[in-house]
Amino acid sequence: MDVQQESVVDPAAAGPAAGVQEVTIRVTVNGAVHERPVPVRTSLVDFLREDLGLTGSHVGCEHGVCGACTVLLDAEPVRGCLLFAVQADGHEVTTVEALATGDELHPLQQAFWEHHGLQCGFCTPGILLTAYDLLRERHGVSEAEIREALSGNLCRCTGYQGIVRSIQAADESWER
Amino acid sequence: MGVQTVGASVRRTEDPRLLRGEGAYVDDLRIPGVLHMAVLRSPEAHARIRSVDVGPARALAGVVDAFSAAELGRDQPAIPALFAVESFRPAPQYPLAVDTVRYVGDPVAVVVAESRHVAEDALELIEVDYEPLEAVVDASAAIQPGAPVLHDDAPDNVAATMVYESGDVEAAFAGADRVVRERLDVQRYTGIPLETRGVVAHRDPVTGELTVWASTQWPHTMRTILAGMLGVPARAVRVVTPDIGGGFGVKADFSPEDFLVPYVAGRIGRPVKWIEDRNEHFLAIAHSREQIHEVELALRDDGAILGLRARHITDCGAYQRPLGLVNASLAGTSLGGVYRVPAYRVEAVCASTNKAPASPYRGAGVPEATFARERLFDIAARELGIDRVELRRRNLLTPDELPHDTGLVSLEAAVVLDSGDFPAALDRALEMAGYADFSARQQAARDEGRLIGLGICVYHQVTGTGPFEGGSVRVDPTGEVTITSGAAPQGQGTATMLAQIAADELQVPHESIKVVFGDTGRLPFGMGTYASRNAVMAGTSVVMAARQVRDKARELAAHLLEADPADLELEDGAFTVRGVPTSRVGWAGVAAAATPGGNRPAGMEPDLEAVQYFENMAAPYSYGIHVAEVEVDPHTGYTTVTRYVVVNDAGRIVNPRNAEGQIVGGVAQGLGGALMEELVYAPDGQPQTTSFLDYLVPGSLDVPDVEIAHLASTTPLNPLGVKGMGEGGAIGAHTAVANAVADAIEHLGCRVTRTPLTPAAVWELLRSATAGAPA
Repeated sequence: MDVQQESVVDPAAAGPAAGVQEVTIRVTVNGAVHERPVPVRTSLVDFLREDLGLTGSHVGCEHGVCGACTVLLDAEPVRGCLLFAVQADGHEVTTVEALATGDELHPLQQAFWEHHGLQCGFCTPGILLTAYDLLRERHGVSEAEIREALSGNLCRCTGYQGIVRSIQAADESWER
Repeated sequence: MGVQTVGASVRRTEDPRLLRGEGAYVDDLRIPGVLHMAVLRSPEAHARIRSVDVGPARALAGVVDAFSAAELGRDQPAIPALFAVESFRPAPQYPLAVDTVRYVGDPVAVVVAESRHVAEDALELIEVDYEPLEAVVDASAAIQPGAPVLHDDAPDNVAATMVYESGDVEAAFAGADRVVRERLDVQRYTGIPLETRGVVAHRDPVTGELTVWASTQWPHTMRTILAGMLGVPARAVRVVTPDIGGGFGVKADFSPEDFLVPYVAGRIGRPVKWIEDRNEHFLAIAHSREQIHEVELALRDDGAILGLRARHITDCGAYQRPLGLVNASLAGTSLGGVYRVPAYRVEAVCASTNKAPASPYRGAGVPEATFARERLFDIAARELGIDRVELRRRNLLTPDELPHDTGLVSLEAAVVLDSGDFPAALDRALEMAGYADFSARQQAARDEGRLIGLGICVYHQVTGTGPFEGGSVRVDPTGEVTITSGAAPQGQGTATMLAQIAADELQVPHESIKVVFGDTGRLPFGMGTYASRNAVMAGTSVVMAARQVRDKARELAAHLLEADPADLELEDGAFTVRGVPTSRVGWAGVAAAATPGGNRPAGMEPDLEAVQYFENMAAPYSYGIHVAEVEVDPHTGYTTVTRYVVVNDAGRIVNPRNAEGQIVGGVAQGLGGALMEELVYAPDGQPQTTSFLDYLVPGSLDVPDVEIAHLASTTPLNPLGVKGMGEGGAIGAHTAVANAVADAIEHLGCRVTRTPLTPAAVWELLRSATAGAPA
């Protein structure tokens, strides 16, 4: 990790970061560069949600199991709750907010809409990014491969059937 | 042609924003200056609190407030229990534990700070001196003499006993050829929505109104309880539900935090947020399902049921919150299913234990009773040497016996089976599942050393419980339609469903209708989303409101077109004089005329809005058949569900694809209950399942595709003919899967009498059967 700047806040000072070390990071999120100090204990998903206002990534368990906070770090899916924001320093992060182009849904999103791939929607952003990673460089994935790829994301509403159908449909419809 | 969307699988209007990551769940709300609350929870299952010192926490930089029960005073309001049956003895929970903690996770103190991090830092500085007491975690042990006592008002740890009976049970058993009895246990498990609970509260400095955003399934009930506990008029509290990330019943509760967040926001005059973390969720969300059933079936030799007698003990946990008795009650009235049971007696005992408080979760007592009945039927069929399908078929009520009044009344509704064709549904499901040749396939598999099994579950569920739901339909002067509903859905697609219903009535595109939920400031009365009630109750209130608006609009259109209202047709968004297509006025024209000052007939009130409350206590019953096929690994005990069939009858279906989504999602949860999910407590009351590493929920590799067929016995109990259906999947699947595992292994000499059938549990059954087998 490339620490650019460190500062230790005076523990006597009032404020949320009292006694907690802060580090300034430079991270590219959905194409935009952000450079700002963060407490070292801030997770990547909290940084995205609270500092950058990107609330599409959801916090479901904070122990790396449910996958609701899945984002792409340099194009690889990662758990936003298991990384600290400082670990993203110098890297590129992609969140669900980057999938659609203006008013136009991404073919994956469109497929989830057409094939009832979501109910409450809470797990959906993480599942979309997991599916995005699966399909990005491949065509003709089997149902077994889809289910295997999804096995790190929990959905409590759908029973996965609609999600699997949606990803199969996106495999067909997404020109890539 | 006109607009006809009820019955069509239209895409959900909810989805685009959720897919874009634009959903706004409670943790996503941006409130300037918001402070964060964290809760200090008891690490003891049962202990006297000698002292709590929040002083060091208050002194930490960034902390704004910290307090324990001592500061709330002796008259701290208790969370109310909503159903006061005669035998009820209070086991109230206070927002912060007073003198005694009764489960691990019981809130003891809170901190409010500039960030959640600091609030949690401060929790570690609070000093609590506990005097440990003996804990009791087994419900049957808890009600024995000499057990540790949780509440002075109930020294036997019985919060209530309810008895449900009809017919002469003693005579039925005296006259029986055979009596089959078994103890059948369902474990503690619960909804575990992906979004945990959360509450944000802010007092409006101008109006003084306390606005509460909560991930709740019943905003109006929350408002009423909260206002009562705060001692303020209902008008002083507004509860709003943002997007909700799953609920499954466990968010239709009132927990300490639901009081503490609004209370402290008012106390310090700043907005406060609390978002439950997953560890807290496992400790403190409403738990459910845990029941011990002692069931007896009186039979004639030909398999006819003469009587059903049972006693069940519901583990209610440490406190009785609003719906603490419901699981016991619904289990008590649903044990008979859709069968002909001439004599019936169930005693439902509610026991207090040193575990998290229990409340309804998807099915609410019915999955438990269904397991007890349908498992016992398989056991009885084996003992009688009758095919399990035959045993069921002989006893299923037939269509000409409906409506069938069981004479039973639960806390929620009378049990009157209104409509259906249960034998036809069974036949259809067995045909889809290939039951006729299953035993040959099973034998062939056994010959190869493989264990496969097929399980059947006939389930029914009460749906759309009363007393009412509210809905308004409004047409703005520009012609746009808005529905406001008392429902508070959590992913069911209810906005789409209500829009479809209103679209047909008003002849406008369903996508053009805006649907608003869960805001006590917009609709004076509402009930919420639980008990499979959205289509029945919210749907009917919207039909009523839409028709009222349409009727008024017709009068107004007739006035504008100088025609007789009876000569007008409403189609595709406009009223037209029959046979005169040029004589036409659309919704915008009518609504503009309805504006105060507009061109209306003499005496007609202005505006085009109707608020309607569907008041109804006659709840429709839906039902269905689940058939599961499994393969059990004889070496590991690991169960794979290989095939799954559902025949469902929920009357008329508004949106079949959404309905099927509810079925499949419910099946996944029932499968989880049958095979993997359990909230485990050690004998000392320490919870053992406090993360997703210990508490397993079904993943994408665990749930098979579900094949679904529908029957449609429209109910006479509402104008749409709809029945609810959201819970059925979870009810049927728990037992279909458990029965399938039993069918795979019981020929070896083991008896399946409890869930979950984890690999370890099945392996143990197989091992004990092998050990006990004759040489």
